[in-house]
This record gives sequence, structure tokens and C-alpha cells, in this order.
Amino acid sequence: MELFKKGKKESGAYTMIIGCGRLGASLANALSDQEASVAVVDKDERAFRKLDASYGGLTLTGDATDITVLRSAEIERADTVVSVTNDDNTNIMVAQIARNVYHIPNVICRLYDPEREIVYREFGIDTICPTVLSTREIDRLLGKAKGEKKA
Amino acid sequence: MQVLLIGGFDIARTLAASLLSKKYRVTAIHPDYDCCKQLADIKGLQVIHGDGSKPFILEEAGARRTDIAIALTDSDADNLVICELCKKRFGVTKTVSVIKNAENTAFFRQMGVDAVVCATNTITGIIEQLAFVHDMTALVPVGDGRVSIAEVSIPEGAPAADKKLWEISLPREVIVGCILRKDQTLIPRGDTRILAGDSLVLLSSAHQETDAIRALTGR
Repeated sequence: MELFKKGKKESGAYTMIIGCGRLGASLANALSDQEASVAVVDKDERAFRKLDASYGGLTLTGDATDITVLRSAEIERADTVVSVTNDDNTNIMVAQIARNVYHIPNVICRLYDPEREIVYREFGIDTICPTVLSTREIDRLLGKAKGEKKA
Repeated sequence: MQVLLIGGFDIARTLAASLLSKKYRVTAIHPDYDCCKQLADIKGLQVIHGDGSKPFILEEAGARRTDIAIALTDSDADNLVICELCKKRFGVTKTVSVIKNAENTAFFRQMGVDAVVCATNTITGIIEQLAFVHDMTALVPVGDGRVSIAEVSIPEGAPAADKKLWEISLPREVIVGCILRKDQTLIPRGDTRILAGDSLVLLSSAHQETDAIRALTGR
């Protein structure tokens, strides 16, 4: 499956994205547009329809909590692994495999529930929590609205 | 001793009944309400309805007071997170996880799960043993399956019957640890004679037990 454009595979960073949902797909499209080397893994083949027609990276169907699947996507070569499936526990597990078994330098993981933080905090896994981000942003917008009113 | 069972309806039910009869205090967590109702029929079992990979559910189920947590859900990722939460957040002494994918065993251990059981592998092993190895009454794997303890009965006319132990050529990696003869238990030496009707307890490594059984029973 030689989906990479020639010469790109060897040079530059390789990013692996787990979960081809809205976030995973838009990230994959953006990286592909920047001519970066990228692979997306999803357990449902139909998820890849969200990728642009111009998407030049690799796609792989399979369960990412299965180490064999990660290995066939050459996880050991990755500089960055982004785990953004819709299941928090899957994201945590994939991130921990990436970090602790394959020692990937950058591991980013999306979590809906910020309560599970303790599990990954000590492993140096970067996390994004939509709830926390949204709260902060709404808070900021509200503050701005208030500020405008006063002024 | 306080035990927490998370997920896994059938196993949880059997395990709960067995542990309660041994005087353990047992709490079960299950995400399905109907399953919870059925679990609640077991006398003495405390049942919590909810997702056991959520910290507040574990808290409610008394994870802080728990000595052993056993994760039985059918998702490896859920089981991993449950064990990690129990250990790191609630200070549970021992965590046990069932897993579907045997390849994850080493990784689970690396992440601090104390005991990992691969249900699929264990069942396949037992089926193979029962279906294809007739003369073995029990096979217990130890050390992640690298070593096994097998009980083999010696029928009339078997190659090993009426022979001294040193006269039988067993694979190098197998020793006869014990002979069960009627009510007696013998620890054999090289000149111990094996009789028809004996049961031998074999200790073998590197999957040599099948060859050993062939040498002993001729099958």
C-alpha cells in the first residue's frame, strides 16, 4: 500500500492518528495538506469517508488497542501519536502503549472525562479535554461580553 | 477481605457466589440495569449500577476499602483503566484483569496490573487438552504458561508400567514430581517402580508434556 507520495516517507516527521472521527479526520487532512507523513487508524472502514479526496496519507482498518494493528501501521517509526477515538479508555490505552512500549516522543490523547486524569498524568501524556477547553472559552467570551458592556 | 467485581455478568455472578461462600465481602459493578437486578438476587452481594471505569462509580462502590479489584468487562481498554484507577487513585492492593487479546498481557503487567488472565487462551487451552489429550486428567500452567504441571494416569500395558523410573526415557525438560498410588503419595527416585493404575504428577517446561505422556502411556 504505497499511498505516500514518493520520497516523503523517509524525510520528516511521521504522525499516527487513532480514530477517524471529525477531529481525527480534520487533523489528518490538515497534516496531509502540509505534505506531512500521516497515517489514520479506525476500526470502521466507513470512517475514512471523512478524509478529503486529496488525502495523501495511509489508512488502516483495525482495533488500535491491538498491538499488532499498531505495529502494522509502523508505530515504532512515529514521532507523534494522537489518540482521538470516541472512547476515553481506548484513548488512554493507546496513549500508554505508545508512550510506555514504543517510547513515542509526543503522545496526545483526547479525553471527554477529565476525572480519569490520575491514570495518565504520571506518564507524560498530553491531553486535551473538550469540556475543560469549552468551559474556558465560554468563560472568556462571557468575560469579554461583560467587559464590553462596562465599556 | 473486600473484593470488587467490575463488569462481566456470568463470571461475576459465579465468582461472587463462590467468594461470598468463602466469607469475603463482595461488591459488583455492572453498567446494565437488568444485569444488576439479577446480580442483586445473590444474597449478601452489594450491587452498584454504573460504568466501573468512572472514578465516582468506583468511589461509590467502596474502592477505597477494597483489597482486591477484578476487572471483567469485555473491553481490554476498560479493564486497563479500571485497574489503573483502582490502584493509583483508590490504593487497591491487588488488581486482576481479564483480557481478550493475549498480546496485551505483558503490557498490562507493565502498567501495574497484578494478575492478567486471557480468557480466550485459557479456554482454548482447556478445550485442546480435553479434546486431544485423553490420558491427562489435569494440566495446570504456571509461570505464564512456560511450565506446566500435568497429572497422568498409567493404564494397564502402558510402556511405563512395571518399569523403574530410570528405565523410561523422558524428555530432558520433564520430571516426575510425585506418584499417586491409591491413598499413598510417593516422591519418586530413579529406582522407584511405576505400576499400572498409578497417577504421575509431571512438571515440564517448554511444552514437553505431550512427548512425556507418549513415553509413559504409549499414546
